[in-house]
Amino acid sequence: MAAITDVLARPTGYSGIWSWLTTVDHKRIGVLYGVSAFAFLLIGGIEAGVMRLQLAEADSNLVDPATFNQMFTMHGTTMIFMAIMPLSAAFFNLIVPLAIGARDVAFPRLNAFSYWVFLFGALLMHSSFLINQAPDAGWFSYANLTEKPFSGNNGMDFWALGLQVLGISSLAAGFNFVVTIINLRAPGMSLMRMPVFIWMTLITSILLILAFPVITVGLIELTMDRNFGTHFFIPESGGDPILWQHLFWVFGHPEVYILILPAMGIVSEVLPPFSRKPLFGYPFIIFSGIVIGMMGWAVWSHHMFTVGLGTIATSVFAITTMLIAVPTGVKIFNWLGTLWGGSITFSTSMLFAIGFVALFIVGGLSGVSHAVVPSDRQQQDTYYIVAHLHYVLFGGSLMGLFAGVYYWFPKFTGKLLSEKLGKWHFWLFFIGMNITFFPMHFVGLNGMPRRIYTYSSEFGWESLNQLSSVGYFIILVGVIVFMVAFVRAMRNGRPSGHDPWDAPGLEWSISSPPPEYNFAELPQVEGRDQYWITKRRAAAEGNPITRPEPHVDPRTIHMPSPSYWPLIVAFGTVWLAGGLLTHYSLSFAGGIIAMIGVVGWGNEPAAAHQPDDAAPDSHG
Amino acid sequence: MGWFAIQPAKHQESTSSPTPSQRKNAVVAAHVSGRALGALRRGWLRLGMLGLLLLLAIGCSTDLQSTWDPAGPVASKQLDLFNVLLWVMVAVFVLVEGALLYAIIRYRRRPGQELPAQTHGNLPLEITWTIIPTVLVLALGIWTVFTIFDLDEPPASADNVLDVTVTAHQWWWEFEYPDAGGGKRITTANEMRVPVDVPVRLTLLSDDVIHSFWIPKLAGKLDVVPTRANQMWFQADANEIDEFPATFFGQCAEFCGIAHALMKFRVVVLEQDEYNAWVQNYGPPPEESQRAQDGRLLFQVNCALCHTISPRDAETGKSVLNYDDGPAQASRMEGFMAGTGVTAAPAPNLTDLRNRRSLGAGLLDLNEENLRRWLHNPDDIKPGTSMAARGLIYQSGDISLSDDEMDSIIAYLLNLQ
Repeated sequence: MAAITDVLARPTGYSGIWSWLTTVDHKRIGVLYGVSAFAFLLIGGIEAGVMRLQLAEADSNLVDPATFNQMFTMHGTTMIFMAIMPLSAAFFNLIVPLAIGARDVAFPRLNAFSYWVFLFGALLMHSSFLINQAPDAGWFSYANLTEKPFSGNNGMDFWALGLQVLGISSLAAGFNFVVTIINLRAPGMSLMRMPVFIWMTLITSILLILAFPVITVGLIELTMDRNFGTHFFIPESGGDPILWQHLFWVFGHPEVYILILPAMGIVSEVLPPFSRKPLFGYPFIIFSGIVIGMMGWAVWSHHMFTVGLGTIATSVFAITTMLIAVPTGVKIFNWLGTLWGGSITFSTSMLFAIGFVALFIVGGLSGVSHAVVPSDRQQQDTYYIVAHLHYVLFGGSLMGLFAGVYYWFPKFTGKLLSEKLGKWHFWLFFIGMNITFFPMHFVGLNGMPRRIYTYSSEFGWESLNQLSSVGYFIILVGVIVFMVAFVRAMRNGRPSGHDPWDAPGLEWSISSPPPEYNFAELPQVEGRDQYWITKRRAAAEGNPITRPEPHVDPRTIHMPSPSYWPLIVAFGTVWLAGGLLTHYSLSFAGGIIAMIGVVGWGNEPAAAHQPDDAAPDSHG
Repeated sequence: MGWFAIQPAKHQESTSSPTPSQRKNAVVAAHVSGRALGALRRGWLRLGMLGLLLLLAIGCSTDLQSTWDPAGPVASKQLDLFNVLLWVMVAVFVLVEGALLYAIIRYRRRPGQELPAQTHGNLPLEITWTIIPTVLVLALGIWTVFTIFDLDEPPASADNVLDVTVTAHQWWWEFEYPDAGGGKRITTANEMRVPVDVPVRLTLLSDDVIHSFWIPKLAGKLDVVPTRANQMWFQADANEIDEFPATFFGQCAEFCGIAHALMKFRVVVLEQDEYNAWVQNYGPPPEESQRAQDGRLLFQVNCALCHTISPRDAETGKSVLNYDDGPAQASRMEGFMAGTGVTAAPAPNLTDLRNRRSLGAGLLDLNEENLRRWLHNPDDIKPGTSMAARGLIYQSGDISLSDDEMDSIIAYLLNLQ
């Protein structure tokens, strides 16, 4: 075996396409994650646009029901698994090692593997569009609608196998970041000195590790039902479709926190520098995050209040669901406490963070209303829920992630995004988002169910749906403004310096963009907000810090080398899954590719010997 | 409740031209919340109130499926709970967003400002804002739990409960009354007729996938799950109804496939006498025109493979009801579980079609013209319906019946002369 795997010479390039394909640098992988996730965000947005155009008028015939069902299925699946989650993963990659004072993640090649598996898995699922067999049973894909008799084409197989592959990516990333955060913190950075974003990454990673196995079981059972004659979810043969719902939501509710906790972490990083005040109630924000992470496992059946679980079970889950509002509220109060008495600058990043708080309050309040089971019986599966979840995922997660984009963009490019365009972006998003989703509360209470491709004008839903569709286009303009701002800043943005926000995090002490090795010397941490401590002490001593830590010769620093193997193993893994859709022999071939990759990976040392005359360019 | 009973027209009046007292209130509110916010705040407040009123005006409608307009005890109690909750939410929203707005205006950075006090937290404050929401949600929780148990069963005091078995099919509803009155067993589809002021207990069965049964004005939804026989109840109150027969709209609320959006039904509430008369007359008409008799023969050849119409007993002239000798409910579920197949009719029972008000799972009002449209191209009205896919007359591409034959079938179904 070793002979086969020796055929590939170790990649050495530090520029060009191959350097990106073989990179193990957490910053480059973060960029790959971010760019890919943004592309999928656009795809999910286009799918939303088709739905909004169709629903803008009653009895519309713009698309047929089959297409509409594909649109809402893939909109939800794409936004959750291929846009928000990988955008969060982009921030984990970009920020975690820098913010804890490390040179890379614990397992750089596993990190590259996570990314490639994500990308290939997402492409696998989207390839279903090419043969017009896109999944069409909703992002939740309730059994037994997903079984062969009711979903005859390959759509559900694409969905199940695609998600299975994305789950591998999430699991690998989850383990990587738990180990990184536990083991690679700079000397002195105790757990209670970690930035809040790192804490939320840790909690999210633990949730990933615990939640994905549950959906993995469900997806295996679904795949087996559809392809190998089992009947886990087939009632006629003694299976139980409700089993799927339990498996899906035991995963699905922690998943909600997987989507929101990173954004909460970002907001907790952004509010202090722009209020010029440390985070209020740091331990309470941390512990409420932990409590949310734990209680998230005890509320899944609130997605199933109309299933008929009986009065006792329903009551228990109503109470637990109400209680989970408490730690969420505590976080909001602490963010208010951070602003209170501060000295607030309204940078674009800060606007997005404040927008997050303002919109998340709405989503949190409507969330409490779902816990009130009798009234939820009227709201479940209506547009009221659609309104709620978009206040949490768009107003919450996405606004938080954009706060992060504007905040950390200068760190990785050395350039500033235009504040003027940024503010346009924010206000278009904020106003467009409210115009789109606020009316949905009312159209839902007025009796409009979710996932209907058409409605008749006599039900009185048309005007509010039109309003929502107008809001969509405002958001769309906001996205375009962002893309223009991004491209302009990349081409000729104003230089940012290493610390444009007078920020407290360690990542701001090094140059922008950071050198490949991040820290020439591992920093010593004496407290929370270490860089504030350093800067203020230096200023008090009369020589304020104006420059980043100096660069050193990269050859003097031991760094992991690029590798082909993560790419090859990821390719083989996804090929294996894709083979199940076409011919099993292809799966076999994919398995062999993955196995060869694993052996090659195992035989390859983390860092190749670097000859002195082949010094890499400094990272760009 | 009172708040939401106001007619939309009145709202429009008050939103378009605020009365002097409203103006004064807005001003007072702005004044109380701090002079520092000034005109900016006042403008925002008025804009916000206007927006809220406008949206409430749209929300408080009496539209066909509005949950703001309950017509029975179940939906009323569900709305009562939501209304309390709504005001709690509005209060918390105003307080917290108000504090946020105040903070970002009051504490915005001013030129030359020194570093503000570097506070790290405040334990008593943390404890306070942990305990207050906990108490609030627990209070809501207790009320919720009491209402869950309260609405679980029809009131024990009710001396007469009507049982109806609902079977959901992709994509229509079958309603079976084991005892509609006087021991008569009735099967109908997409239109449930019930007497006013009588609790109706539903047993929900599914023929295929998961559906959800929902009549917004009468009761919140409950899923219809294969392998389960969920139960829910509702009642229509006479004092909420202006005119009989009263029609309430419902539809499937759980995504169930291609025609999910079109899986509707209606609940027709009748006065007890009318209901009794309907039960009495259920069955084929006593008289049939020649045309209708022609239609019956055509129906039997072309439609009866899927659709049932109970035949008339030749001697007594009374109807012979197809389910009288059919399997009992329990064995239907057992057959389902044992994989021996479902014995339910694969298509709606049309015995009572001439008395119904709607067609195509509640999509169209029933009249001759709409029925003709439906028969000519069901897929056009309800894409995905299995009638077009499986119906014998549609298999050759063209409809295999002449217009005249079609008219005969319509005459038979609607008992026209």
